[in-house]
Amino acid sequence: MILKIEKIGLSLEVEDELLNKLLEIGKTHYPKEFGGFLIGYYSENNMHLHITDTILPKKYQASKYNFERSTKGIENELVEFYAENLRKIYIGEWHTHPDNSPIPSATDISAINTIINSKKTSIANPVLLIIGCSNTTVDFGFYVWFENKLYKYE
Amino acid sequence: MDKNKHLESVISTHQITKEKTLFDKYVKKKNEVKEALEENYGSDLYYPFNSGSYAKNTAINTKFDFDLVSPFKRNAFGSNGTLKEMYEDVYYFLYEKYKDVAEVKKQKVSIGLEFYADSDGDVIKIDVVPGRELSQDQYREDENLNLYVYYKYGNIDAGSERIKTNVKAQINNIKDRATAEKDSIRKIIRLLKVWKNTKYIYPTKSFFLELITIKAFDSKSITGSIWDKLETVLQYIRDNVTKESFTQKDPGNSSNDLADTLTSTEKQQLSDDMKNMLERIEENDENLKTYFPENTKFKKEDTNNNQYGKNSGMPIPPPKLNFG
Ligand SMILES: [Zn+2]
Repeated sequence: MILKIEKIGLSLEVEDELLNKLLEIGKTHYPKEFGGFLIGYYSENNMHLHITDTILPKKYQASKYNFERSTKGIENELVEFYAENLRKIYIGEWHTHPDNSPIPSATDISAINTIINSKKTSIANPVLLIIGCSNTTVDFGFYVWFENKLYKYE
Repeated sequence: MDKNKHLESVISTHQITKEKTLFDKYVKKKNEVKEALEENYGSDLYYPFNSGSYAKNTAINTKFDFDLVSPFKRNAFGSNGTLKEMYEDVYYFLYEKYKDVAEVKKQKVSIGLEFYADSDGDVIKIDVVPGRELSQDQYREDENLNLYVYYKYGNIDAGSERIKTNVKAQINNIKDRATAEKDSIRKIIRLLKVWKNTKYIYPTKSFFLELITIKAFDSKSITGSIWDKLETVLQYIRDNVTKESFTQKDPGNSSNDLADTLTSTEKQQLSDDMKNMLERIEENDENLKTYFPENTKFKKEDTNNNQYGKNSGMPIPPPKLNFG
């Protein structure tokens, strides 16, 4: 699936298989939140992002309204993706909103700010995927932080 | 080129909120230093307060000025204690306390703390300005303080104990006027500070630029677009700063002439710089960008040639992150 933000001209491609996998994983944790790291790579001209994989956290705490993940234990997976020919890297995060719409909360925005302000992270435009799910329905939204604002891919 | 559009962008891209994280670090450090002073000096000290750009609402994000004024009681260093003894005492206290984590430097009227870069590479600088009330309990009345001049400060000699100034009055003067003039003054001050920051070292204190801007608004009718206003202020500085009759009354103490904080050579330089700047911009609008650069970190693109930020090396996710 290819998504785009007309206003700033940036696009994103996500493997359907990956997206379905994330929806499935999200559902198994319902009614608690869950999430993980998004892995991918940018095109040569840096205008297109391809999301290919996820790393699931080994350590996390979750409730219906909160999800805190740690990077403990995922270091090797990060290095392995980076060692691939395409140099896949950490490009953002995903998490679920049980019984809620896939719209970023204030906590989500401050998480984004933590990402862009962390020198070691060195990504300026992190992507946020939110999956809104209930027993019967599922919806999702991809967002990117660009020039101090969050944009939604359509 | 649209000069006004560019200047508005300079102002917005330097806005302090955009460097919120760094700013928060400053506030935290400032509070730490303040608490350390309070703990060490106890009741010899009135409540230390911040007189830096933050309080003055003119801060620009490329560099923060954080001045922490520490008002001492008259007998804090004994009834015969000198201002020099106050200055040295505060210096040694700060030196002992912070020597392992910061550069501790003697400066004109303050003691500079430059903390070594943290894990984000950010360097926090805080200037502690020790001051002492003129007589017992007088600070409570009018908030005037004597400062110690560690080294030559314009036309005021080193070792001098003459500067006395109500720092809070200075802050309020700028605040009140700025509100009344519907932000115009603040915008011009911010632009002048952006210009000053393009220079590595410049003798003119930010505070001097703030006051001269207010003076320009006082003595002339300054209207029109943001460029019109800026141009008028630049012309005012060019034409007036070197005049024999030019004085800058310190709003905190009318017998204190801030024009003395610059030597006549430095005033001439400021005037010449204004003259050059105006001529270069007259020749070519584009030169405005050299004097008043945007903060590229936050520049907005008008076209759709946007790119995802390029990363260097393998990005490491922040260790702990919370989502709601
Ligand atoms: Zn959320």
